[in-house]
Amino acid sequence: MLRTDRLDAYYGLFQALFGFTFEVRPGETVALIGSNGAGKSTLLRSIVGSVRTRPDGVLLDGRPVGGDPERKQLDRGIALVPEGRRLFPSLTVRENLQLAMRNGRKGPWTVERLMKEFPVMEAFQHRPATALSGGQQQLVALSRALVCNPDYLLCDEISLGLSPVAVNEVYQLLGRARRDGLAVVLVEQNVKRALSESDRFYCIQKGRVVLQGSSEHADHAQVAQAYFGI
Amino acid sequence: MNSLALIHQARPRKAGRAVVGVVLLAVLGALALAPWFTSFATQRLLVEIFTVFAMALAWNLLAGYGGLVVVGHQMFVGVGAYALFALSNRLGINPWIMLPLATAATALFALLSALPMFRLSGAHFAVGTWVLAEMLRILTLNNEWLGAGGGMPLEALASFDRWTRNAGVYWSALVTGVGALVIARLMLRGRLGLALMSVRDSEAAAAASGVSIQRAKLALWVIAGSITGLAGAVAYMNTLQVTPDATFSLNWSAAAIFIAVLGGIGTLEGPILGTILYFLLRESFSGYGSWYFIGLGSLAIATMVFAPGGAWSLVTRRWAIDPFGVRRDMPRR
Amino acid sequence: MQALIETIAGGLMLGALYALFGLGLSLSLGVMKMINIAHGDLIVLGAYLCSTVMQLLGIGPFVSLLAVIPMMFVIGYGLQRVLLNRVVGRGALSPLLLTFGLSIVLQNILQEVYTADTRSLQAGEFALQGFDLGGVSIGLLPLVSTVISVAIFAGTSWLIGHSHLGRQARAVADDPGTARLVGVNDRNFFALVTGFVLAVIALASVMYGIRTPFSPTAGPERLLYSFEAVVLGGLGNVWGTFVGGLIIGVAQLLGAKVSSGLGPFFGHLVFLVALLARPQGLFGKGSR
Repeated sequence: MLRTDRLDAYYGLFQALFGFTFEVRPGETVALIGSNGAGKSTLLRSIVGSVRTRPDGVLLDGRPVGGDPERKQLDRGIALVPEGRRLFPSLTVRENLQLAMRNGRKGPWTVERLMKEFPVMEAFQHRPATALSGGQQQLVALSRALVCNPDYLLCDEISLGLSPVAVNEVYQLLGRARRDGLAVVLVEQNVKRALSESDRFYCIQKGRVVLQGSSEHADHAQVAQAYFGI
Repeated sequence: MNSLALIHQARPRKAGRAVVGVVLLAVLGALALAPWFTSFATQRLLVEIFTVFAMALAWNLLAGYGGLVVVGHQMFVGVGAYALFALSNRLGINPWIMLPLATAATALFALLSALPMFRLSGAHFAVGTWVLAEMLRILTLNNEWLGAGGGMPLEALASFDRWTRNAGVYWSALVTGVGALVIARLMLRGRLGLALMSVRDSEAAAAASGVSIQRAKLALWVIAGSITGLAGAVAYMNTLQVTPDATFSLNWSAAAIFIAVLGGIGTLEGPILGTILYFLLRESFSGYGSWYFIGLGSLAIATMVFAPGGAWSLVTRRWAIDPFGVRRDMPRR
Repeated sequence: MQALIETIAGGLMLGALYALFGLGLSLSLGVMKMINIAHGDLIVLGAYLCSTVMQLLGIGPFVSLLAVIPMMFVIGYGLQRVLLNRVVGRGALSPLLLTFGLSIVLQNILQEVYTADTRSLQAGEFALQGFDLGGVSIGLLPLVSTVISVAIFAGTSWLIGHSHLGRQARAVADDPGTARLVGVNDRNFFALVTGFVLAVIALASVMYGIRTPFSPTAGPERLLYSFEAVVLGGLGNVWGTFVGGLIIGVAQLLGAKVSSGLGPFFGHLVFLVALLARPQGLFGKGSR
């Protein structure tokens, strides 16, 4: 189980998280819902090691792993799909994936498997990664994290700026990964999508948990209130 | 709180400022009277201190407030010194009268050099200034009119007696050092300083607010270059001979950079502290030859790793003081 | 006419050496985004290490490389790991000033150990041999330097394009934060790059040392030529550095023909003029 324990985190001098406690169990999908600037990205980045935290602020199967660098977290099975996709422009699609696979853990997800599942990706594999459309880039960004074969996948706004068709494709791929037993933390501004794709949810506002529960039985009115802070 | 209590609060601060002012005037007075109660050797050392301080202050203004890191600072030194010597020798006029002209010549050079140099930025700009300085050195080395490799002496000084000559150079250096500090403070508390510090904080925001970044940087470049040129001219009046290798030497940049780094880049107090430290170290350890330089270089490295804000940052970590009144943000505890 | 061709040929071969000087600088500027002011002094250090190894073991300069290249790799790895990693990413000012201090330290250590006298690496007959190519006299050493330089450039270019290390380098140059997300251990990786840079410097310094007498203060000039080669060719382009080096070499030798003291001056002049005309260099990636 991956969980945070009263996590504080800072974005420069600005405190972004205040005593944030949440957990993800193996195989489940948890949604983090909140508006811009609520602290969602900071939370994900704290878990994966891009933002420094105290060691016992993040616990993996009971062991304190907070503050360790990204490489170590990757070895432990925690991977992040960053906001804005962030593919490497100097590398081709294939190279983006190869780089991650070589650095990541061994497992069922490989470059070849993804090429087979997505003929479009295979067709574009030797093009510079940023020459693709937004939706295609998001698929590549998601694949890049998958080939590291994580146990916990953190997804930061993967539907942002995409057409509905593209969003469906992205969530299809995510669905396949979840069927393999992957646990997912989903940061989404789209509340409907977030709730329909997750088992549980947390509402985050100004760095604090303001609401949590089962996604199936979520009270949409309550969630809207928490989101907008009314 | 009523107005009487507020006045009582203000009075001790004003009294404090007055005391500082009196002390400063006393120090300045003592310095001005130095030719009458110090030896020639001491005066020559003081000339070095004041001129190097002015150069370091200028470098600090460029790097710390303008974002213009320069490794070719010696080009201003050389242009100022050679301009003084050439003009004074050719026109046969008293070199002290020629000092303003030499400064103006350096200002003109700064203006012209900005044309190519401002096309570069960052590390490119830094090394680009070095390339330009090298070009000047080689040109001067190959120029017979400027004395080529042997350089030129300052002939016009020969007509003065030793005491007058030393005193005159000493006072020029004093004016240069104090003047540089005064100009720097005036500039930083004025519109130019505000513009530069806003660019330092955020170039995009400054541009959006209507700050003409290029104009501000150019003004800073010309001012800093002129100060350095004047300091170079006075420094060479002290040694009486200009040569290409010495006058356009990287050592001038090295000294300015060390002082700025050791003292604290981006502050006015830094160059003062840095100059004191630099000369203390030099007078104590330069007898050790290469080991002195190894120590100096290591000190610079250690400063960049452990205290990038220089010695002044160590002072402000302990006490939140702001003697020159140019600080804008609260010191971090 | 023949003299002109000979000068240009000589300039190209000198330029190939400058290009090799510049390759290391290009890599560290591209990957670590920092300029190493001590780069030239490291070239001189390499030459002195070769000299010492040659004296101690009584071997020739190229054989001494078997010892010097690993030594320089370790020095580079250690330098980056212990010192330079602390200032990477802290802006352009910190690495520049730190390596400036390093440059002073290096020059003076060399001065203490080896004195200020100039020396060169003895290559015996090899250094003096030459042959005739269609009426143009070509030195054997410059030709061998050029071949080695081209080989190193080709090898490095291949590594960057086709190896895991090269992919990591390109990724880090693009986006260091995201590179960390995909598992690049940049502390270790940067140290590997600097180690590689110093190994290349070792190779260049041997050919430099045979060709030119050197002294502890010869570093800064080498840095300027390296820098000119890199910037002229354009950042982020390895073969661009090669062309940049060739241009500086030719400019210097042609300039020296015009007036014997002004060789380097013409190199500087060509550099400045080219930079004014095209600030991003010949093959640079345009304005970022």
